Amino acid sequence: MAEKHFEVSRLPGFATTAIIVFVALYVPIFTLVAYSFNASMSVAVWGGFSTDWYVKAWSNQQIKDATLRSLIIACFAAAISTAVATMAALGTTRRKAFKGQTFIYVMINQPLMVPEIVTAVALLILFGMIKQATGIQGIGYVILAHSAFCIPFAYLPIRARLEGMDLSLETAAADLYATPWQTFRRVTLPLLAPGIAAGAMLAFVISLDDVVITEFVKAGGQDTLPTYMLGQMKRQLTPEINAVSSMLLLVTVALLTAFFLLTRKKNDG
Amino acid sequence: MTKLLGATAILLATTSLAAAEGELQLFNWGNYTSPELLEKFKKETGITVTVTDYDSNDGALAKIEAGGHGFDLVVPTHQYVQIYAEKGLIVPLDLSKLPNHKNIAPEWTNVDWDPGRAYTIPWQWGTTGVGVNTSVYSGDINTSDIFMNVPAELKGKINVVPEMNDVVNLAVMWAGGEPCSEDPEVLKKARDALIAAKPDWISMDYGATEKLSNNDWAASVNWNGSTMRARIANPSVAYGYPKEGYPIWMDSVALLADAQHVEEAYKFLDFIEQPENAAMISAFARYANGIAGSDEFMPEDMKTAPEIVVPEASKAAGKFIPTCSPKAQEYMTAIWTELQK
Repeated sequence: MAEKHFEVSRLPGFATTAIIVFVALYVPIFTLVAYSFNASMSVAVWGGFSTDWYVKAWSNQQIKDATLRSLIIACFAAAISTAVATMAALGTTRRKAFKGQTFIYVMINQPLMVPEIVTAVALLILFGMIKQATGIQGIGYVILAHSAFCIPFAYLPIRARLEGMDLSLETAAADLYATPWQTFRRVTLPLLAPGIAAGAMLAFVISLDDVVITEFVKAGGQDTLPTYMLGQMKRQLTPEINAVSSMLLLVTVALLTAFFLLTRKKNDG
Repeated sequence: MTKLLGATAILLATTSLAAAEGELQLFNWGNYTSPELLEKFKKETGITVTVTDYDSNDGALAKIEAGGHGFDLVVPTHQYVQIYAEKGLIVPLDLSKLPNHKNIAPEWTNVDWDPGRAYTIPWQWGTTGVGVNTSVYSGDINTSDIFMNVPAELKGKINVVPEMNDVVNLAVMWAGGEPCSEDPEVLKKARDALIAAKPDWISMDYGATEKLSNNDWAASVNWNGSTMRARIANPSVAYGYPKEGYPIWMDSVALLADAQHVEEAYKFLDFIEQPENAAMISAFARYANGIAGSDEFMPEDMKTAPEIVVPEASKAAGKFIPTCSPKAQEYMTAIWTELQK
């Protein structure tokens, strides 16, 4: 290999920087997981190995309810936001560049730019007015809010996939007298499927992890797992929270791994 | 777009329209409500209580103010009760529906933030004082001198919790003033003493339960509940109630103006005014409850805990910290900012 060939890994300090980054990213997480096996009540003083906190968390009805609620919300939010994001991605890529394209991108990705707390306060006020005017309560508000901020997370991988897909396949299908719907159903959609799945999974994880917006939008009996955990701050934190966090982490890592595998396929093929 | 609207319609249609009977929505601090208490209440009345958590008074207030929240009862800290009442968010209680209202301990029936207990019922209360390892320092611990004028044995071994309201008001009371003082002389004395004492402190940090337990710190300005847990782990830890004055906080239950389940709410309020039920709240959350006669139903380790049962001699020095005036708040913040440098 030629000496002058540029590679980031040969820059001075590359290894040091990499190590610092990995330590900063993973040491806190490993500490959290390690203390979930702590025998004592403390989240900071080691008192021997035990899996008691997992048993305790597992038999805590409030945690079970909150987890189930989190999963239901995340499923709905992922489905809705992915459907919307797919349509948005098709509308913004399968055509010639048009005036105001950047503006549309910014509009779709608005939840990424606006601070979460601003959205949360805005939703609190708006939903408060709607609830008072109509008297309608329910989990639907949380699902709607989650669907909205998950859209850009679903949109970005789908759009990336679409941009990498050759338009000539669709053109060929049209040449062979396929109707626009047939073209979409038989050509575009199957090619796009990994992107959609990746987008849905990302949306699912984002919804599952959300705290700020949920905290503001939730009504009676609508605590999700993250807001339940936040509520524990009033009193002493016990390793039960570490155990719950570790399990949540496991689910998130599993989904992100699936996301990675799906997007990798795209680059290979 | 039609699809989106359709989905929205379906979502909203699946949600309940009217308030169901036999249920109650309690908006409370997280990890603060005993599940056994709710079970017992359900067994006696058939009413299911749903608890939703919050983690700050401001957050809870914001949600209640926005309206349409669906909650029936809320548990604000004392200095927020007036705010809720002034905004018309909570309503005066109909005492004829609360036969057990007389059970509120005499010292908590006429608090200045809710005269005559017109709006609220005590849930839990606690204090801020000093936790001291008595094997390191054996002198008098019932004084703010512990951190304002650090004894030689504790120099470089004492922590101060980074809570502005608690610390500055302790200092102001130590200097002879009232909480939220605007008196320049008192404030100057408090500020000078804090700045002079700071080099003797090891840190201004949280985590006193652990650090007192494992002897990392020999003392700390700390809350009573945390000090009790430290003492259980490390018997030489003791809790001092500064005689110059120490802060008391109390979380109380109030009925919301737009509550949907008013009858159920009264049943619950009356239920928790019974001593044995109040004791269940304490047994779970580990703080005192403010209902007379609940002591005998308390767990053994709390009945006699000096951190929970305030000694007679220290009772008078406890003071509720009100919502300070903007001016007092400004002074307090100025002292605090300087102290943090």
